[in-house]
Amino acid sequence: MGRKAQKNDSLPGSLDMLILRTLSRRDLHGYGIVQFIQQSSDNELLVEEGSLYPALQRLELNGWIDGAWGVTSNNRRARIYKITAAGRKQLGVETRQYAKLTLAIARVMGAE
Amino acid sequence: VTDVLRRLRYWKESARRSEALREEIELHLAEKAAELQTDGMTAERARAEARRRFGNVGLKHEESREIWMTRFLSELGQDVRYGLRTMTANKAFSALAVLLLALGIGANTAIYSFMESILLRSLPVADPESLVVLNWHSRPPQEGSKQWVIHGLQGMFWPGDKGALVSGIFPYAAMETLGSQNVSSENPVFSTLFGYFNGHNRNLAVRGQAASVSAEYVTGDYFRGLEVSPAAGRLINSEDDRAGAAAVAVISFATSQNRFGGPPNAIGQSILVDNIPFTVIGVTPPEFFGVDPAMAPDLYLPLHTNMLTDGARAARMYGDGNFYWIEMMGRLRPGVSMAQAQAALAPRFRQWVDTTAKTGGERANLPALILNPGAEGLGSLRRQYSKPLYVLLAMVGLILAITCANIANLLLARAAARRREMAVRLSLGAGRFRVVRQLLTESVMLASLGGAFGVLFAIWGVRSLTLLLSNGQENFTLHAELNWKVLGLTAALSVVCGLLFGLAPAIQSTRPDVMPALKNGRGGGPRGRAQHVLVVAQIAVSFLLLVAAGLFVRTLNKLHSVQLGYARENILLFSLNARQAGHRDPEMATFYANLRKRFESIPGVSSATLSQSSIISAGHAGGVYRGAMKIGAVTVAGAGVMAAGPHFLTTMQIPVLAGREIDERDQPGSPPVAVISERLARTYFGNENPLGRRITFVDEKRDLEIVGVSANVRYGGLKQGSPMTVFAAASQFSPEDRVTYALRVAGDPLRYVRSVHEVVREADSRIPVTNVFTQAAEIDRTISREITFSKLCTVFAVLALLIACVGLYGTMSYSVAQQTGEIGIRMAVGAQRGAVVWMVLRRVLLLAAVGLAISVPAALIASRLVKSFLFGTQPNDPGTLALAGVVLLSAAILAGYAPARRASRIDPVAALRQE
Repeated sequence: MGRKAQKNDSLPGSLDMLILRTLSRRDLHGYGIVQFIQQSSDNELLVEEGSLYPALQRLELNGWIDGAWGVTSNNRRARIYKITAAGRKQLGVETRQYAKLTLAIARVMGAE
Repeated sequence: VTDVLRRLRYWKESARRSEALREEIELHLAEKAAELQTDGMTAERARAEARRRFGNVGLKHEESREIWMTRFLSELGQDVRYGLRTMTANKAFSALAVLLLALGIGANTAIYSFMESILLRSLPVADPESLVVLNWHSRPPQEGSKQWVIHGLQGMFWPGDKGALVSGIFPYAAMETLGSQNVSSENPVFSTLFGYFNGHNRNLAVRGQAASVSAEYVTGDYFRGLEVSPAAGRLINSEDDRAGAAAVAVISFATSQNRFGGPPNAIGQSILVDNIPFTVIGVTPPEFFGVDPAMAPDLYLPLHTNMLTDGARAARMYGDGNFYWIEMMGRLRPGVSMAQAQAALAPRFRQWVDTTAKTGGERANLPALILNPGAEGLGSLRRQYSKPLYVLLAMVGLILAITCANIANLLLARAAARRREMAVRLSLGAGRFRVVRQLLTESVMLASLGGAFGVLFAIWGVRSLTLLLSNGQENFTLHAELNWKVLGLTAALSVVCGLLFGLAPAIQSTRPDVMPALKNGRGGGPRGRAQHVLVVAQIAVSFLLLVAAGLFVRTLNKLHSVQLGYARENILLFSLNARQAGHRDPEMATFYANLRKRFESIPGVSSATLSQSSIISAGHAGGVYRGAMKIGAVTVAGAGVMAAGPHFLTTMQIPVLAGREIDERDQPGSPPVAVISERLARTYFGNENPLGRRITFVDEKRDLEIVGVSANVRYGGLKQGSPMTVFAAASQFSPEDRVTYALRVAGDPLRYVRSVHEVVREADSRIPVTNVFTQAAEIDRTISREITFSKLCTVFAVLALLIACVGLYGTMSYSVAQQTGEIGIRMAVGAQRGAVVWMVLRRVLLLAAVGLAISVPAALIASRLVKSFLFGTQPNDPGTLALAGVVLLSAAILAGYAPARRASRIDPVAALRQE
C-alpha cells in the first residue's frame, strides 16, 4: 500500500477527523464521504477506501456518528451517516489538536 | 452504563450489522465502478479496478465488524484473568465468599422453586388461561341457629374476606342450571362447564392385587372441557356419565405403569373399585394431574358411578338442592372475560338458590356466585403453602442480604489494603470506570461461582425440603424442580449480588483523591464508616432471624408439651376399610371384631383396639356422630364423640376413674353404652355420680347408658382439642368409612407392620392396610408445618448469626490492625491490657447495641406477620426477645474477643518502630 503517494498516512488518526468534518457539512453514505474528501482536497488526499469502513464502525461505536438506512442522490438504498452532538464535540477536540500539531510542525520547519 | 448497553445491543445485532456492512461495501464498489465506467473503462475492467482499489474486501469487512467486539472482549478477558489471579491469591477469602454465597443463593433458589411450582405454574392443559373455577361466598350461619340454605355438604370451606366463607361445592341441580344446555342457547359464556368431586381413597383391585388409590369422580365434559388427549384408549365422555351406563374408568399414566406395565396393556382390562367391576377405557397423559395440584388422582370415574360405589347415599345427593358436593370449572368462550361471565351467571345462580331456601332466615343469607381464575387449577395448595413460603422466602432473602453485606465488608477491608495499588493505577491514567469495571468483574465472578455451587446446594435443599414438608405423607404431590425459570433467577440473583456487594468497595477504593493514598505508605483511608454500617445491618438482620427462630421453636415446644392424656409412644396405628372390599353390615362389625382379637394375639402386642380414627385426627375425619347431644333436658355443647372398640382406654393408657371401659360385652345388639371424660362429667353432673345416667344422641334418637368416667383426653388436634369426650362403643355404630386400629406393643412399633400385613392378608386379601404410622408420627403429622418452620428457622438463624460474627470479627480485626500504632502508644504510656481489651470490646458492644436498637422495633412489627403460625406464644414474647438479645450479644463478644486479645498483645516497641 505504500506505493500510493497521496494516501492519507501522513497524520495517523486524521481520517476520523476528516470523516467527522465531512459529515458536519452534510449527511453522506460511505462512498459519498470518499468522494467529498477527494474533491474538496482537489484530489490531493486519496482516502484508502478499505480503511473507511472500519473507521466508520469505530466512530459509530464511540457514538460520534449515527448510521441509518436511506436513499442516495441517485436513488440507491445506502447507509447514510450523520454526525452526533458528541461527534461535533470530538471534532472540535481533534481540530484543536490538529491545529496545535500543524503549528508545531510549521515552527519546526520554519526554524530550520 | 449506556456504553455497555450499546455494546450489548451491538453484540445482539451483530449478524444483522454484518449483513448491512456487506451491502454497504457492495454499494461502494458499484458506485466506484460506475464512476470509472464514465471515465471510459469497460464494465468488467471498472469492476475489477474498483475492487483492486478497495483492497481485500473480506478482510476489511472482518476488520470493521470486529472493531466493536474485540475491544469489549479483550478487556473482558483481561478483567477475568485479573479476577482469577486475585481470587487465587486470596484463596481463603475467595473460598469463604463462595461458600457463603452458595448457601445464600442456594437457599433462595430452593425456596423459589417451591414457590414457582405452587404459585406460578399453570395446569398442563390446552389454553389454561380460559379456565375459570366456580366458587361461592356467604356469611357463616349465626352461632346456634341453623338458618342456612346448606343443609348438608361433602367438601371444604375456606375463609374469605371479612369473615365470609368461601367454597367450591354446589348442589347437582346448580350445575344443571348453570350448565351447558342452558348457557349455550341463552347466555353463551362457557364453551364447556364440567364438574368433579374428590372421591378420596378407594380400593382398587387389579388381578386380585388390592391397593388404596385416590379417585376423582368427573362429569362427561371434564376431559373435553380440559382439552386433554389420552395416552392410550379414550377418555370419559357424556355417554359414560349417566345412571345405568356401563361402568368404565380412566387411570393415570403412573397407575397404568405400576399396575399394568404400560398404558396399552391397561385398555379393556377389568378392575374392581370398592369391589364393583369397572372396565379401563383409557389412560391420561403423563403430565396430567387433574385440576388440583394438591391431588394426583390415580383413578377417574364417571360422576354417576358414585351410585354404584357409594350406594343409596349417593343417589340421594343428586336430587337434593340443599346438599352441596360437586365442584365446577368452566372454559370461557373466546372473547368472553371472567367479569362478563360472572355478571351473566351470578344472577342466574341467585335466582336458582333462592328457590332452594326453605325459610326467611335461609333466604336472608344466600351464597353468592363468584368466578376465580382456573389457569393454575384449584387453590388448595396455594392456600396451604403460600403464606409459609412467603415467610421462608423473606428469611432466605434476608440471609442473602447479610451475605452480600458481609462480603461487601470483607471487600471493603481488602479495598482499603489495595488503595495504594488503585491510586497507582489511576495516577498512571487508567479510567476510573475501567478500574471499577475490573473490580466489579471480580465480584461478579465470585458471585457466579457462588451461584454455580448454590445450584448444587439448591438441589439438595429441594430434596430435603420435600422430605420435610411431606413428613411421611403417602402420595405427597408437591414436587418442586429446578427448571429454566428457576435457574434463570439464580443466574440473575448471582449477578445482582455480585454488583451489589462489589459496587460500594469498588467505588470507595477508586475515589479520585489519589494523593493522600500515594503519600501514606500504609494507607489509612477513612475509618471504615461504611464497614460499621454494614456490620450493624448484619447484626440487625440476624436478630430478626433469631427472634423468628425463637418464636417457632417455642411454638413447637408448647405444642409438644400439650397434655395429651393418652400414650404417645409404643403404639402402632393403621387403617382398614372393609366396606370398600365388599363387606356389609352386620357382618362387617364381626369381621372387625375378629380381626382385633387376631391382632391382640400377635406376640409382643399387649392390647389392640379400634376407633373411627386416631384421637389426634378425630373431628377432622368424618366422625360417627356430629349431631346434638342432651343429658336429660340439658344440651351438651363442645363435646366430641369417639367411636371406640374394646380396651380403647387400656391401649391408649387413659385412666378409668370410675366404672368400666368399653369391652367385648358391648355388642351390636346389647344396650348402647358410653364412657365420658372427667371434664364432661364435672360440667354436667357436678358432684353427682354419672354412672347409670343417660346421654341422648338426639338426631339418632338413641340413649346411651354412661358406664364409666375416663381421665381427660385432648380430643382432636393439639391446638383446638377439647377435653370433653364421649366414647361410644364402635360395634354399636356402623362405620361410614375406614376404621383405625391401634396396637400397644413392646419396642419399636414399626417392627410389627409385617405381622399386621400377614394377619390382614389371611383375613381378607382384598383389603389394603393404609396410613401406617406410630402414634408419635401421627401426632407430629398434624404439626408438620410447625416442625418444618422451627427446624428451618433454627438453621437460618444459626447461619445468619455465623455470618454476622464473621463480619464482626473481620471488621474488628481490621480496625485493630489499623490502630496498631495508636494502641502501641497507649500501652507505652501505661494502658493496661484489660483496658485495651475493653476498648475493643466496647466498640463491639456499641455496634451490637446499635444493631439491636434498630432491630427490636422491626422485630416487634415483623413478628406480628407470623402470628398465625404461633401457638401459645405471643409475637412480642419478651422471653424470646431477651433470649435472642443475649445470644446475639454473647456471639458478638465472642467474635470480638479474638481481635481484642490480639490488640492487648501488641508489643509497644515493635508497633512504634513500624510506625
